[in-house]
Amino acid sequence: SLLQGSKLEIPLWLAKGLHDSRRRIISVELPKIYKEAWRTVFSADANVVDLHKMGPYYYGFGSQLLNFDNPENPEIAQTILQATEGGPVLPASNSVCPPQTFIARFRRIMDSSQNAYNEDTSALVARLDELERALFQVGQKGLNDFQCWEKGQASQITASSLVQNYGKRKFTEVDG
Amino acid sequence: MEPAEVEFLAEKELVTIVPNFSLDRIHLIGGDLGPFNPGLPVEVPVWLAINLKQRQKCRLIPPEWMDVGKLEEIRDQERKEDTFTPMPSPYYMELTKLLLNYASDNIPKADEIRTLVKDTWDTRMAKLRLSADSFVQQQEAHAKLDNLTLMEINTTGTFLTQALDHMYKLRTNLQPGESSHSQDF
Repeated sequence: SLLQGSKLEIPLWLAKGLHDSRRRIISVELPKIYKEAWRTVFSADANVVDLHKMGPYYYGFGSQLLNFDNPENPEIAQTILQATEGGPVLPASNSVCPPQTFIARFRRIMDSSQNAYNEDTSALVARLDELERALFQVGQKGLNDFQCWEKGQASQITASSLVQNYGKRKFTEVDG
Repeated sequence: MEPAEVEFLAEKELVTIVPNFSLDRIHLIGGDLGPFNPGLPVEVPVWLAINLKQRQKCRLIPPEWMDVGKLEEIRDQERKEDTFTPMPSPYYMELTKLLLNYASDNIPKADEIRTLVKDTWDTRMAKLRLSADSFVQQQEAHAKLDNLTLMEINTTGTFLTQALDHMYKLRTNLQPGESSHSQDF
């Protein structure tokens, strides 16, 4: 059994279940990346941060963290969303928050996913968190479908990639 | 939507052909076509024009906007203005691809035309991205973009709507007193 005041790591879903603002069974400590020091880094230049390394579910996890009544919650919510460069500064806080991160990084994700010449997207994608990666892939697909169509490949019948992997004996081998 | 579906819709647009056969009026579900007389220009939907061309039963007449001078004007205007220029056809991209692929022999300076149309497309797409970015940066509630064609919307639409969905969810985090449905023990 646990002693009061001991610290341990538990999965988020468990913490959510145990959390109750009235009974205060547990209190949650913010992971580093959501704390003030890191929030300042995001405000300087959100594009620099390797979100995949810091926690591949930055946005999702960050949103879930807000379930625990933490006094820094408004600042965290802001940072995750809001825009840094030239964006409107909210009166309530002078530190920057996750929505700003999303907005600041949005441009780069959009431009590179729609870029016809796939030069160095792998370097960028490695530093995106899962939400951003899914978005990136959607953008790429839109572009790839268009280019495919433009070349006239949309009306060509091609073997499905699933079938090609079956490794069935090909016709020529059977003839032997 | 797939680009092929957008192209399907584009094929309903009318284009002028000069047939080399004759046929009385035909009555199709979508409407009447013809009559066809050799040497006399007649308007038909693109899907039929392409089919006839492939069977060597007609010659295609390019639409009047598919001309180097006109396209250069359009391209230059697109580069100059911040807003989107009205395009000569809501399906300019699709028509260009179809006509140039199947009937380039009937279209003078086909290569130049292809390049001009592509340039215009690239400029418009860049404008669209710029517009999307400023929309996101300023967290606007809604925007109005005139003169976009379906193909352009289709290529970037899914990305944009998903990104805005995410933004919306993150923004609702900012509301104080958000519901967390915890159970009572």
